Amino acid sequence: MTPLSYLLAAQAEVPEVIDRIPSGFSYFVIPFTVGVAFMFCWLGVGLIRLLADIPKEDRIKFGKSLFIPKVALKNIKELFCDCLFHVKIWQRKPLLGYMHSAIAFGWFMIIILGHIEVALFVPARLNVTRGGLFYPIFYRYFVWMNPGHTTLRGSFFFFLMDFFLLYILSGIALAIFKRFRSIVLGMRHTTKPSFADRVALYSLWMIFPLRLLAESFTADLSGGSFLTIPVNQFWHFLFGDKLWFMPCWWAYSICLGLFFAAMPFSRYMHILTEVLWILLRNAGVKPNHPRKGVAEAEIYACSSCGLCLDACPMNVQKKNLKYSSVYFIRFLRRHNEKKINAIADKCLMCDKCHALCPVGVDAPALRRAQRATVNNTMPYNYAYLDASGSVQPSEPGRVHSRFAAAENGLSPESAPADSTQPCHANPGVLYFAGCMTHLTPRIIKSVEKVFKAAGVEYAFADREGGICCGRPLMLAGRTDAAAKVIEANKQMIEASGCKTLVLSCPICYKIFKEEYHLEGINVVHYTQFINELIAAGRLDVKKTDEKIVYHDPCELGRGCGVYLEPRAALSQVGTLVKASKEYDESICCGGSLGSLTLDTHDRAKISQASLQALLSGNPETIVTACPLCLKTFSEAVSRGENLEQHVKVKDFAEAICP
Amino acid sequence: MKNNILIIGGGPAGLEASAQLQRMGYNVILIERSPKLGGHLAKWDRLFPDRVPADEVLRSLLDATEGVKCFTDTDIRAINRLDKSYNVRLTNGITVLSDAVLVASGFDLFNAVRKEEYGYGIYNQVMTNADLEAYFRTGEDRRIENPRKVGFVHCVGSRDEKAGCRSCSKVCCATAVKQAIEMKQAFPEAEVFCFYMDLRLFGRHYEDLYLEAQKEYGVRFIRGRVAEVSENFDGTLLVKAEDTVASKPLKVTLDLLVLMAGMRPSASGKALGELLGMNVEDDGYFAVRSGIAAGQRSQQPGIFLAGAATGPKTLPETLADARAAAMEVDRYLTEVFPDARNYKQLVKERW
Repeated sequence: MTPLSYLLAAQAEVPEVIDRIPSGFSYFVIPFTVGVAFMFCWLGVGLIRLLADIPKEDRIKFGKSLFIPKVALKNIKELFCDCLFHVKIWQRKPLLGYMHSAIAFGWFMIIILGHIEVALFVPARLNVTRGGLFYPIFYRYFVWMNPGHTTLRGSFFFFLMDFFLLYILSGIALAIFKRFRSIVLGMRHTTKPSFADRVALYSLWMIFPLRLLAESFTADLSGGSFLTIPVNQFWHFLFGDKLWFMPCWWAYSICLGLFFAAMPFSRYMHILTEVLWILLRNAGVKPNHPRKGVAEAEIYACSSCGLCLDACPMNVQKKNLKYSSVYFIRFLRRHNEKKINAIADKCLMCDKCHALCPVGVDAPALRRAQRATVNNTMPYNYAYLDASGSVQPSEPGRVHSRFAAAENGLSPESAPADSTQPCHANPGVLYFAGCMTHLTPRIIKSVEKVFKAAGVEYAFADREGGICCGRPLMLAGRTDAAAKVIEANKQMIEASGCKTLVLSCPICYKIFKEEYHLEGINVVHYTQFINELIAAGRLDVKKTDEKIVYHDPCELGRGCGVYLEPRAALSQVGTLVKASKEYDESICCGGSLGSLTLDTHDRAKISQASLQALLSGNPETIVTACPLCLKTFSEAVSRGENLEQHVKVKDFAEAICP
Repeated sequence: MKNNILIIGGGPAGLEASAQLQRMGYNVILIERSPKLGGHLAKWDRLFPDRVPADEVLRSLLDATEGVKCFTDTDIRAINRLDKSYNVRLTNGITVLSDAVLVASGFDLFNAVRKEEYGYGIYNQVMTNADLEAYFRTGEDRRIENPRKVGFVHCVGSRDEKAGCRSCSKVCCATAVKQAIEMKQAFPEAEVFCFYMDLRLFGRHYEDLYLEAQKEYGVRFIRGRVAEVSENFDGTLLVKAEDTVASKPLKVTLDLLVLMAGMRPSASGKALGELLGMNVEDDGYFAVRSGIAAGQRSQQPGIFLAGAATGPKTLPETLADARAAAMEVDRYLTEVFPDARNYKQLVKERW
């Protein structure tokens, strides 16, 4: 150690830390300061623009939300869990979670601890005019430790700083390793970095090794702990007494500057924008445009981590990687209209990327909003809604058929006389099958069988045909058209006077639940309804030893959070086996009507992948609770490509009441 | 010298080709995996456009095969190519050394259960074109009891990307028109509807048949696919469709719905193709050497194709194709096959 005590001998009360450069400035801090100042300016302008873009009521809602204790608590929890600890990644891929939290939380702690040190030992330097912007970052450069007077408090901070630096370095090492062998960390595909991503990425890799280098070079002057001190001694061993530490500090600052300058154009902007997105999200503000306002915060919150690449069912074929949410968001950022539309239309809307996104970016909603910019203005004739009589008040207790009397020379009496269904006098259960269930008549047969067996008094809302629930229009971005059919259906259902509305299609169920706002009517999916019937002892079921695997339909599972009821009911009739991907990781059957452009060949590939996942536990029967899944799987199984075992495909009601 | 020729498939194509080759003096061995010769023709009642009895046509085909060695209930167990010929082991224990192989594996009817929205196998009153022909042959079907309203659905398993069947089956439009007329003949009081998306009535006399159906029998043609079918309490069917000419949805109650199941590549043909190492195209039918100039040659020397194995064909087309295949086999066996020294070169140039 260099003896320094003679410099300090004159001072009466000997301080632990000495501000060794009176000006508190050195030229090497310029790259960092410029970079970070640029980034904050960019962020500030962006924030103002964003707040200006969102509607006034949303702005007020956002402002108020910050002071609502419940929301504030949620904010704090999510900021820590999502931004710093990356809990969501930990839960699914621990190694990846460690990597992310090491860098995020480690860096956060180093910045915080740096500021605490400055606040404790040289508080004046926190003032911006006296270098507050860079001083805490380069604290170790600016101070001398008084060797004879190091307190326990000082050593404690030295230890913490070294500890977190080591923590970050382990994360960085994993990150570098991940670039080459991502599968070890649980990622099959990783995002292709853009130019700015690369600049930021390589700077990020360099920042912390350089920090270790810089701090270890000055460790004998400014103090250190278990990491920096031995490294410092090693440098002395190599280079002798005199260490030229300036180049290290310059390199460290340049890397930091480069990183911050590249940040707004790279994936790393999420470090700060994620905070904003979480606050907006928790305030309940929703994007109504794919690019402007809240959506801007959302797309910049995307960390481009690429977890959605493996999540996307389309990516069983490598050629479809380009349609993943991460690239959708990248092109949204770049305003690449042509590519945005192509990607937005391709998506199956299975919502898995949203469910698995560590930042909670709702890319399917953005795709929907993007589709709306193109499709919502398309003209369409709604004459049939009026002609059907649905908008006229209907007789209470009777559900009116919605189809015009057959035309084209078909005699009107060709329609059966009972084209209206009597509702139960004491309004009970209304069953709405929906278009897709009508295309899979065995579901209707089974549901009616179950109702009969359980003695459920019910009315069939659309036996003679009904109007679309509106969800497919919604998915296609045709929100106005959807609003019209919703209104028409809503009147029909309210006029029926029912108390419970049972739906056998998850596509209908989602929109009935979320958009219809049916006051006083309990909207349930038939899996929930039947499960209740069994639990209440109204429906007798026979347990067999049939091995059943349950497929979570996208709209029911991820869409509405219904996972347990169908399983509970099925476990009463057979033995449930596990699928290799289930619950919110379930793979879309490939038949989703969310996609506007995906061709049948690609869909068939997805069906095969989904089947493979379901068959991993060697079940005898696949049970699903969605007409579209049922149709798709029946088709895929009957084609039987690449299937070793023969397996039956059944609807939920069919499985319950064979 | 009498070359052995193995013909796989005892439907119209196989029968016609074996008759022709037998006439040319070859030693023809015909194998058929089912117990009966005639393929789908043996199950049909009458044929479009002139409604001649299928049995008559089949009889004349069978009569011409005099002298052909026929093995029914027989399939191929193994096949391997020797220098020029094929060594074929049959499931009946016989081994054939064949100089040329003609594959006439035909087609399967589309399994209408797969189009669940039409309710075949779910509703009682839904049948297929094949079921209706069986009824015409036997006069027995529990579904047909003086129907008052009958619908025909065209293109079931044809031109349907979602069902994985892109191609047009060629024969169903004419069959539907023929069957519609026959239904009217059997039940003059019945109303008959045909739901079509395009009417592909391209052959000679087909248009006459179509006009006859409209003018003399009052069959109603509705342009639009059937969307869905449901069952009423009394067992009748409620059919919903779109009339795309009037741009309106419509629904009609029917007593009977007939699905015009289309042609699909034969499943047993597919297994055979795997044994022979033959290529199939995306549509599932066998690939030919050249679609225009060499439609009866497979991509492997010595293996020929005829009939619906290379895509949907009408019966006259199939028979013409079988004759063409016979000519091709003859040309190969006279010009290419005997020249042992230059065989490889000749195959390169002429196959």
